[in-house]
Amino acid sequence: MIENLKQRVLTLCPSAKMMGEYEESKMLTIEVPNENWHELAVSLRNEKDLQFDYLQDIIGVDDEGRLGIICRLFSTTYAQTPLVVHVWTDGRECPELLSVSDVWNSANLYEREVYDYFGIRFVNHPDMRRLFLRPDWVGYPLRKDYDMESNPLVLKNEPVADFERSERLELDSNGRIKESSFQLFDDKEYVVSFGPQHPSTHGVLQLRVSLKGETVQRIDPNFGYIHRGIEKMCEEYTYPQILHLTERLDYLSAAINRHGMCLLCEKALQMEVPERAVYIRTIFDELTRIASHLLGWASMCNDMGAITAFIYGMRDREKIMDIFEETTGGRLFTSYSVIGGVSQDIHPNFQKRVKDFLPYMRKMLREYHTLFTNNPIARQRMTSAGHLNKATAIAYGVTGPSGRASGWHNDVRKIEPYAAYSKVNFNEVTDTVGGSFERYYVRLDEILESLAIIEQLVDNIPEGDYKAKTKAIIKLPEGEFFERVENARGDFGIYVNSHGDKSPYRIKFRSPSMALVSALDPIVKGEKIADLIMIGGSLDYVIPCIDR
Amino acid sequence: MFDFSVITCWIDNLLRVEWGLPDFWTLAIEFVLVGVALLTAYALIALVLIYAERKICGFFQCRIGPNRVGKWGLLQVVADMIKILTKEIIPIKRSDKFLFLMAPFFVIIGSILTFAALPFGLGLQAIDFNIGVVYILAVSSLGVIGILLAGWSSNNKYSLIGAIRSGAQLVSYELSAGLSLMVAVVLAGTMQLSEIVEAQSDLWFIFKGGIFAFVAFVIYLIAGHAETNRGPFDLAEAESELTAGYHTEYSGITFGFYYVAEYTNLFIVAAIATTMFLGGWMPLHIPGFDAFNAVMDYIPTPIWFFGKCAFCIFMALWVRWSYPRLRIDQLLKLEWKVLMPITLVNLAAVAVAVTM
Amino acid sequence: MKSFYLYIKELFEGICNLILGLKISMMNFLRPKVTEQYPENRKTAQHFDRFRARLVMPHNEKNEHKCIACGICEMNCPNGTIQVLSSMVEDPETGRKKKVLDKYIYDLGTCTFCNMCVTSCPHKAIAWSQDFEQAVFDRDRLYCQLNAEGSHVESKTIPTPKTEGKQNTSTVNGQES
Repeated sequence: MIENLKQRVLTLCPSAKMMGEYEESKMLTIEVPNENWHELAVSLRNEKDLQFDYLQDIIGVDDEGRLGIICRLFSTTYAQTPLVVHVWTDGRECPELLSVSDVWNSANLYEREVYDYFGIRFVNHPDMRRLFLRPDWVGYPLRKDYDMESNPLVLKNEPVADFERSERLELDSNGRIKESSFQLFDDKEYVVSFGPQHPSTHGVLQLRVSLKGETVQRIDPNFGYIHRGIEKMCEEYTYPQILHLTERLDYLSAAINRHGMCLLCEKALQMEVPERAVYIRTIFDELTRIASHLLGWASMCNDMGAITAFIYGMRDREKIMDIFEETTGGRLFTSYSVIGGVSQDIHPNFQKRVKDFLPYMRKMLREYHTLFTNNPIARQRMTSAGHLNKATAIAYGVTGPSGRASGWHNDVRKIEPYAAYSKVNFNEVTDTVGGSFERYYVRLDEILESLAIIEQLVDNIPEGDYKAKTKAIIKLPEGEFFERVENARGDFGIYVNSHGDKSPYRIKFRSPSMALVSALDPIVKGEKIADLIMIGGSLDYVIPCIDR
Repeated sequence: MFDFSVITCWIDNLLRVEWGLPDFWTLAIEFVLVGVALLTAYALIALVLIYAERKICGFFQCRIGPNRVGKWGLLQVVADMIKILTKEIIPIKRSDKFLFLMAPFFVIIGSILTFAALPFGLGLQAIDFNIGVVYILAVSSLGVIGILLAGWSSNNKYSLIGAIRSGAQLVSYELSAGLSLMVAVVLAGTMQLSEIVEAQSDLWFIFKGGIFAFVAFVIYLIAGHAETNRGPFDLAEAESELTAGYHTEYSGITFGFYYVAEYTNLFIVAAIATTMFLGGWMPLHIPGFDAFNAVMDYIPTPIWFFGKCAFCIFMALWVRWSYPRLRIDQLLKLEWKVLMPITLVNLAAVAVAVTM
Repeated sequence: MKSFYLYIKELFEGICNLILGLKISMMNFLRPKVTEQYPENRKTAQHFDRFRARLVMPHNEKNEHKCIACGICEMNCPNGTIQVLSSMVEDPETGRKKKVLDKYIYDLGTCTFCNMCVTSCPHKAIAWSQDFEQAVFDRDRLYCQLNAEGSHVESKTIPTPKTEGKQNTSTVNGQES
């Protein structure tokens, strides 16, 4: 199959270069010259037999003096081999690449991120602004020659510009690049700023919303208020140290993110993980997922004004936090998975506590449905607003429960089973309508599925070691590694470029939340303000994961 | 039944006959006394309600509620009030200062004026208009001016959206509220509040009026609740959408005014519902059970009144802490497509039933 | 007519569901409350024995700890929370020079409780305590010295794990250089 794809790509773009030992890594890595990239992208996306419609991530790299991007493509129609495309720029002075944001909508924010970190400008991109950093930031921080002293801390009060300007680069008919700048919002528009300090943006996210009466016209998300430069920090950290930063990305799926990073390292080191650890990790992942969905449910109810439901969700989440605390010593950040297994054995009470929790949670779910799902106010509000169809969901890369509610089967646990997921029976909860109500309902149904997974595993944890022996210093072999896991918000991808050191050369985390926020604009167009807040709740994004 | 007019007549007698004051001074002193009594009642009711709401809300949410300041947190509200009084009133740049400071007074005056006509007990009523129902409806809707002014003068987009929402909401719900009260007026045959209460001396309207009165009572509670801008009708405030809606920019005592007025409005809605449908201060009398009726008469009338109010308020809190907020179009749909038609049919039916 | 029937049906279904919702909240109104009365329940509150409140260095009754100042914890800490200050002291018996712990400084303010110091310690010299009440009024008081005044390394730790400890240190140092 991989051979077919190779031939197909070569006929579409003869100048493409095959790279790496693709047989083993189960993906095809190609290198494409910039001139052919956009053309190839269009064919990859539209050719009947290829249909690479899901752009998982665009990763900027500064590898040995060359600047470029790595695109990771999947097809949702065919069980195709994933395609990894490298595109390099001509030089470092004025690096420019052709934008593919017209092919995949999700590329819009990814390319802005690459511009922000590496200074690669994308021609034909509709809105070439920095994504996370301030507009007056000096230099591009993830370039290897970035001077850490170039941006001293600003401690004085600064006026905020009402009307931000953005740039656009267009290719005219002669093939020359024409630069132009434009104002984001018209002077006449009624722009209301939601956030960064707002009760229901679920973190420090700023949404600038252009309103007409109560109706939303356009929305511009502004990130970066909790940007910590985690990817830059990781370049200095050893692999075990990186683990504790992965937890701080999407703090509600902390254990799952950490599990993903451990999986990547174990796969790269070709390490065998004890079965016991695999089972324990899976149970912890599912408990984390339940806790996250409970909080998602609770905060969505709170967004819709049902504060009591919020407290009920928090109350029941507390039970999971107690289970975590007893075994791992941590509540939100469990620091449990380590490379090679888990850091300590489960507590003697663990199984009993988990088994007590299962029936309790099922009972509470029934209560939630009576209290909130069947409430006519809530039901009408949720069913009447926020529709996202499957094609748009895929184009924007909306994974996780939100994507599944639109009918996209994207559960990584099913597509690429990892850990103990191949050993358990569970359903991938999907819907076809893609409204706010479906997103809400899929989330609650997933709690039931997670409970079923835990039920199948908790009594069958095999005896044995909980951790494989590892070297004192962990060094990943040279090469590029990809890993993805299904966290509570969707496809959490990790890319590591290792030069054989104890720290990665470049690490990139694919944030599922960023795709969710980017899809906010097409969903909320024409809805009411109240629905904007509710749809935000139904998408359930976590901001620290976006900002990194 | 103890008639509180004994006390008021004694005071009047003391001033006029014993001290021999002229009419002007007698009235002046009496006005001041009534004013002080009403304002004290106003403040006390607000304090008690704030405490009750926080405690009851806590219980609905599996919490205990305030329990740190004083025994069972009883002094929490007092402490909060002291805090609010000592806080700075933050001036807003480029706001309409005059209207900005005037808005809270509109809200508070609207609710204080209503207090004057409420019959708290037998003989405990400041003014007994012959058109009491209309008076109450008129003054209690003054508050919307305060809310609109606050939203307009704050120079804040959230406030403006909140105020406009509130305007649409209050204007529409005023209709159902007023029309559902008319059911009680039709049953009693008068608009004077004391006589409406008197008309329920054999049995309260909610029982006597059958299904009509019950429907009108429920609709009044819903519409009245919507007029107080409290959840699930708190669109004007909408914490999760508009941070605090029309009073986003208010601080210190100006915010305190909105806060207090919210709770007294809650009480006023309960009090009007009580007076019109639950017999006001009238004890429970069942025709034919004379011994039972006599026993009921021993319970003082203000206790009956406040007890029934407490029941209505508890219902309001129960609903508030169970349901999500409505969206603006749902809110208007509920009024114009559900409540209004039902009220009109109900009113017509009760009119026919009474004349026949 | 059909739409009128639907209107009535929807109305009654809505009212029924609203009342069922009220029933749920009333059930919770009557249930025992979940609030923890914190300062009052200090004695009875449940503490999990693996809870990570702060780093401590257990000492035995002879005021001895197990730390041989190898510095692995300091190296593994992602946040620079731990500082191991040591000096070389000549052993009077053997005459060989060895590392002795002077001060083990732990900054609670920068600790992210990632557990890497404790799991990497070859002698189990450090552990987590469960006393979670760590609030102080001054940031400086978050710097704690973990080894007690006048304490020294446990005598029986030295002979057996000495080689192992030394090995570890050397590999670590080797990697470093």
